[in-house]
Order: sequence, then structure tokens, then C-alpha cells
Amino acid sequence: MTERFAHATGTSAVGGVEERSARPLGGLVIPILAVGAALSLVPLWLGDSRVMMGIAVLGLAFAAYTIGFNLIFGSTGQLFLCVGALAGIGGYGGAILADVVGLPIVVSIVLATLAAAVVGALLSWVAVRRSLGVIFTGIVTLIFALTFENLLLGLGELTGGESGFLMKAGKGTWLRAQIPPYYLMLGMVLLALFVYGLLRRSHIGWAFRALRDDEVAAELAGIDVARYRIYAATIGSAILGLAGSLLAFTEGRISPTTFGFAEVDVVVIVMLAFGGIGSLLGPILGALTFTVIDELLVEVGQLRVFVYGALVIALFLWIPRGVIPTLGDLRRRRRPTRDS
Amino acid sequence: MTASILDGIVLGLQFGLLATGLTLMYGLGGILNLAYGQMAVISAIVTVSVMDAGLPVVPAALVGMATGAVLGWILDQTVFRPLYSLRGEARVLLSLLLSLGVALMIDGFLNWLFPLKGLSLFIGGGAIDIFGEPMRRGSLLASAITIVAMAALVAFFRFTTLGRAVRSVIEDEEGARLVGIDPRKMLRLILVLSGAIAALVALTRSMVAPVDVTAGFGITVFALIVTVVGGLGSITGALAAGIILGIINAIAASAIGTFMSLIILLVAAAITILVRPAGLLGVKE
Repeated sequence: MTERFAHATGTSAVGGVEERSARPLGGLVIPILAVGAALSLVPLWLGDSRVMMGIAVLGLAFAAYTIGFNLIFGSTGQLFLCVGALAGIGGYGGAILADVVGLPIVVSIVLATLAAAVVGALLSWVAVRRSLGVIFTGIVTLIFALTFENLLLGLGELTGGESGFLMKAGKGTWLRAQIPPYYLMLGMVLLALFVYGLLRRSHIGWAFRALRDDEVAAELAGIDVARYRIYAATIGSAILGLAGSLLAFTEGRISPTTFGFAEVDVVVIVMLAFGGIGSLLGPILGALTFTVIDELLVEVGQLRVFVYGALVIALFLWIPRGVIPTLGDLRRRRRPTRDS
Repeated sequence: MTASILDGIVLGLQFGLLATGLTLMYGLGGILNLAYGQMAVISAIVTVSVMDAGLPVVPAALVGMATGAVLGWILDQTVFRPLYSLRGEARVLLSLLLSLGVALMIDGFLNWLFPLKGLSLFIGGGAIDIFGEPMRRGSLLASAITIVAMAALVAFFRFTTLGRAVRSVIEDEEGARLVGIDPRKMLRLILVLSGAIAALVALTRSMVAPVDVTAGFGITVFALIVTVVGGLGSITGALAAGIILGIINAIAASAIGTFMSLIILLVAAAITILVRPAGLLGVKE
């Protein structure tokens, strides 16, 4: 408790932070609502096609994954290479709880989301306790992701193995209709954005920035680095789990590749790198762009992976900070009077 | 049991050799090369292609190893070039992301070139008895080649001036620079060498079991697990961890099943990282 108090006083002593948290919520709510309004028009345009709506829902799920990953990696520098696995805990957890255990859908989703949050928190706790650096955190979480994938394949009687899990729960309801799942997903994405935005503005976000800029200095300034890492991992993993769970219930069929490392983590890294690590709307821009690119590249088949690889290299070489922060830099350079 | 232990040793030797390439790149240059497995696969494909064109096995294998070496050189000259201005964790992280891009490019290209995933490489041989167990001639030859290659590597690092120069960079880059060793040149040498090692492992592997065109990522993961367990940057650690994990893997595979054996390997790696982050024989930084 005293520690927490120290944080609070530390926060106000730095100055500028007070100002920040006193700022009206408009700066946060307006961009999120604008994104929401723009995205809510998509069904007017693509609503006739079941295939297109499926792709749009998947795109939103990836937007949520990228927001979650941004919170964990972008804010606190924990390289979680198990985005797909954490979403898979949400997805498979929800599916098993609803279909095999027989719980109501909402309860299943909540429990599966909690499970993902707990696993994410545990991974983060282990990484923090053993003071693993970025790379070792990456390796441990990659190992976790591969283990999870293999468990899904191995426990075929429960998970359906390679052919996947065909879900009975939610069948014939609005969850499997053509357009409502899109709005469900959109609501979830906006909620995730809002949570992330609020965190960034609070004293937690201040601590995030401090520990990302200079971990040792942050520690010396009295920031409990370990605790904020675990916070970020818990909330981020909850977002991943919820997105995975909702995806499972709206798709009705999940398989290990739905949550595979190559299929999810690699793509999420590309999306975040493109949009901009640590930015609010970067994940949305990245997810949108690559969902569209993915569709455009359907015809080239396997060469799509080749193009992805080339894009990864180009992105990290030329715009390592991502599109949105880079654009911000350009704007600031052009209008030197306006500082932010 | 004897059979699976023998199999495990064969596999473990190859794991160990595979991991030395990865561990050298990390220890020397702070580079985590996720395109390592793809380098191996490309070399194997080139070998098979020149064999199909009529070249005998040994020259074909040499061509394959040269391919691996050239791939290492190309990486050094192109994608990895921007890394050298970075230090520490930033370099490792960027190397990981850039090489992931390279791995994706190669995988995508290979899958497009061989869409049916049908091309697997297999240089087999008949069976002979060892300790009363039938062993394929290919396995024995593969092990012999691997052991010779390992011995050559160890001798290179222990007895030659160049090898010692490389080791001095791993131990203390600044110190090495002060006595006139160019770490950049050593790193280029290691990238070329690791390419050749990857190629050799893919070739000896194909003498025991088929190597798939899509095997790249799997090879990288195995190499990474062995490297981590042995200790990043430690050559002897990589060799030891390779043999230990190879035996564990073979016994688990025959006793419980292949899918569990991979999980056991993964868990073993996770436990090693958590209990002893520097690895079995690694040096704490």
C-alpha cells in the first residue's frame, strides 16, 4: 500500500502527468469513435457476401490480437511469441466449456478469457522473476506456443486434433448469422482500444513509458517494473483470450491453425510493425491494411508468404517505428510551432 | 531400448552440430538467425538437384555445403548489414525479426515452387547390425560424418589461429579489437561457416529420414531448443545438449509417442531456461 502511495506522489511530482490525466477524455474517445463509425459502415458495403463478412470478422479479431500484443510488447517490452496460443486458450477453452462441459456461452467466454489472462500473467511473472530479457522471454513464450499447438494436435479426442473442433454451442443463433458477429467483434475491438487508451493516460501508462525508455532509471525512480509488466501481460492476454473466444463462437469451427504460430503471431508482428509499436490506432491500421493485402494476394497462393517476408524485412529496415508514429514525426517536422 | 538409444545418439549428434551453427552466430555477433533451417533446406534441395543432373553424391554434397556457405555470405552482405550498427539486445531483436522475414520469403517461395510438398530428400542405404540391433548404413555414415565434422570444428576453434581469433571475439569483443582482430570479419566467417554446417546437417539428416521442403521452421526450432539448453554461445554446450536431447527424444518417442516426445523436448528446454538461464554449459553475462 505504501508502495502504491509512493507511486501516486511520484507521479504528481514529475509534473505534466497531472495535466495529462486531467485532460478531457475527448482526445481518446473521439478517435476511437471515429474508427468505430468508419468500421461500422463496412457491412453496408460488403454485407451481401458471406465470405467477405467472414474475412472482415477475422480482420477485426486480428486487430484485437494486435492491440493485445501492442499492450504487452509495445508498452512493456515483453516479447510474447504466444499471441496465437493465448487466443487459442480463449477459443478452445470457450469451445470446450460450452460444448463438452455444457456451460452457457457467456459464462464460457468469460471463463476462457480469464484463463488466457491467468496464463499470460503466469508467463509474465515467470519472465519477471527469472529476469529474462526480451530474447529469452521470446524463446520461452515461443516454446509455450509450440507446446500448446502440439497439445491441441495430441489431445485429439478433446480438441478434434488436426481437423479441428466443430462447435455445437451457438449454432443457429445470431452468433452465426452473416452480419451481427461483425458488430460483436467491432464492439470488442473498440472496448480493447478504449481500455488500452485509458491505461496509457493513467499513471500505469506513465510507468509503462518510463520502463520502456529506461528500465533501470524507472526502477530507480521507484517504479515497480515487475508489477507493471505483469499488469500489461494480464490485461493484454485477456484481450487476446476474449478475441480468440469470440472468434471461435462466431466461426463455429476452430483448428490448431486458427491459432497457430505461423498463422497468428507472425501476422500480428507484421501488423503491429506496420501500424506502429506503441501507438493507439497503429494496430487498427496494420490489421486493416494486411487484411486487405491478404485478400489481394489470394491469387498468388503460396507466394503470399514470400510477399509477407519481404514486407517484414522492408518494414523493419525502412520504417522501424511504423506508419503512424512516422507520419506523426513528419507532421511535427512540417509544423514546428505545434508541439505535442 | 538399445535401438532407441542408438537412434537417439544419431539424432543427437546431428542436433548438436546443428546447434553449433546457431550458437556461434549468437555468441559471436548477437544474431539470432531464424532463417537457419531454411538455409539447410535450400542447400539440401540444391544437392538433390545436382545429383539428379548426374553428379555423384560426394561432389553434390560439397556443392550443397557451398550453397549453405554462400547463403550465409549473402545474409551477411544484405539483410544483416544494418544490424552491425546496433548493440546488445536491439541487435538480437532486429536480427530475429529480419531473419524471420527471410525465413518467410524462403518458405513462401519453396512452397510455391513445390506446391504439393511432395519433394522430400532421402539418401538411404541398407541395414547392418550394431550391438545386435539393425542400423541403416545411412545412419552410421551420417553419424560418422557428423562426428568428423564436430571434431574438425573443435580442432579449428582450439588449434588454429583463426579459430582462436573467433573465440576471442566471443569472449571479449573490445579486447579482441584491441589486439587487432576485426569482429566484423569473424562474424562474416561464422555466418559462412554456419551456412555450411546447416547444409551438412540437412544432408546427413536426409540419410536417416526424409527431409521435407517445409522442414525449415522445424529445423530452426530444434536448433534453438538445443542451443538454449546447451547455453547460448557455447559450442561444447550445444554438442552435449544435442546428444542428451537426442536420446531423450528417441526414448520418449518410442515409449510414449512422437507428439509427446516433442512436448517433452519443449518442456525440457523451458525448464532449463528457468532453472539455469545461461544453459548447461553457458557463461553468465
